[in-house]
Amino acid sequence: MDALEIQHLSKSYRNNKAVDNISFSIQQGEFFGFLGQNGAGKTTTIHAVTGINTFDSGIIRVCGIDVVKDYKQARTKVGLSGQEFNVDIFQKVEKILWFMAGFYGMTKQARATRIEELLTIFELHEHKHKTFRELSGGLKRRVMIARAMVHDPELLILDEPTAGVDVELRHDMWKYLKKINSEGKTILLTSHYLEEVEYLCSRIAIIHKGKIIAVGDKDEFLKDGKNLEEKYLELTKNI
Amino acid sequence: MLNIIGLQTLISREIQRFSRVFIQSLISPWISAFLYIVIFGVVIGGRIEMIGDYRYIDFVLPGLVMLNLIQASYQQGAFSLYMHRFQGSIQEILVAPFSYMEMLLAFLGAAILRGIIVGMGVYMLALLFTSATMAHFFLFVFYAIAVAFIFSCVGLLMGMWSNNFEQLNILNTFVIMPLTFLGGIFNSISMLPEKAQIFVRLNPFFYFVDGLRYAMIGVRESNAVGGFVMIIILASGLAVLLWYLFSRGWRIKG
Repeated sequence: MDALEIQHLSKSYRNNKAVDNISFSIQQGEFFGFLGQNGAGKTTTIHAVTGINTFDSGIIRVCGIDVVKDYKQARTKVGLSGQEFNVDIFQKVEKILWFMAGFYGMTKQARATRIEELLTIFELHEHKHKTFRELSGGLKRRVMIARAMVHDPELLILDEPTAGVDVELRHDMWKYLKKINSEGKTILLTSHYLEEVEYLCSRIAIIHKGKIIAVGDKDEFLKDGKNLEEKYLELTKNI
Repeated sequence: MLNIIGLQTLISREIQRFSRVFIQSLISPWISAFLYIVIFGVVIGGRIEMIGDYRYIDFVLPGLVMLNLIQASYQQGAFSLYMHRFQGSIQEILVAPFSYMEMLLAFLGAAILRGIIVGMGVYMLALLFTSATMAHFFLFVFYAIAVAFIFSCVGLLMGMWSNNFEQLNILNTFVIMPLTFLGGIFNSISMLPEKAQIFVRLNPFFYFVDGLRYAMIGVRESNAVGGFVMIIILASGLAVLLWYLFSRGWRIKG
């Protein structure tokens, strides 16, 4: 069963077609890169998967569950670390995680254990009593990812997770993401750092002006000796 | 299946959000109400003759409770939802396994609770100056919850519709506040000219204030059945509209 299956998804904002009849799927355990320039339709697609956006037509299934018909169950399978800091900025780090875990129906005991784990993994212990707005950009990103993982989702969606993050933390994050992927977690990653996608992902899709223009294994993109950035520019140049 | 833990968590988070700014959300209305009670109830009220068999402070108190209950429930609904939209934190709720009904219940629950807490606080403050009677306790509970529910719904609708803080305050400034004050908080309808009484009887706020006054001091100037029916129609109509808009994701989803 695919972790994510998108069929003929379309979404318009007034007269602007943000996503135009796209289809692709992500197998369980895959590390999938979703590339495209700003406004190409990446975030719109992700928001359609997670329920933040409505969509006009198409079918989306997460682990075989329809995100419209069985939306409550589908949402338990997905964790989203959004591109923007979509969080109550006056809330303390620990409380952000606590409330989010509660939203997913976790008991107090399960929440406490899971939050402890995440605070350790993301080295947030010393910051747990700080409000979100008091954190640096890198720490904010860590909180966002920790929040996305609080209910241990089967599909983790990371929308530009390393934007504004320093080099050291980015490498730490890569290491961690590689580790959880090797343990079976399916990850969908969008990023403007193509070397990051090249390093982490096994399969890649490129969306351009709302349409998928290429999808395949990373090796297929790199087979003529070009790196991913060169290939990406080549594919998107004349469209 | 109902996401009970999620629902409890969302309600407790909303309560925590307004408790975090308790000076603004709780203390401030209590101070205003205290001043109203002292000035209108005690200082000026002491020079006003009895209204029916009641001292002025006893007559005016139900209106002050209702005024503050309306304001608090409206503001919680409106500002809470608007701030979630403004900060983007509404997305935290949208990605979680909540039905639209659960989301709505949580927002309404917190707004009703804030309205009741503020209203009860005003009532307790009044006990410093008067015996603050309670003629019909269950009617009091009905009116307090029903009116808090109505204005929580109105607040949430404004929180959904508004695109800036100015829009958020429009309804309160131009509709809620004037109609509440003209709805008989400070005066009996019999003090008004006959023609003005017709307009007051068309004002739904008159029925809210008068209903609570009947529950507290046992005196009524409105038609009880008419007021009751109007409250039920308003509450159910607003709830259905709100549920419909929520389930369509109107202004909360992209």
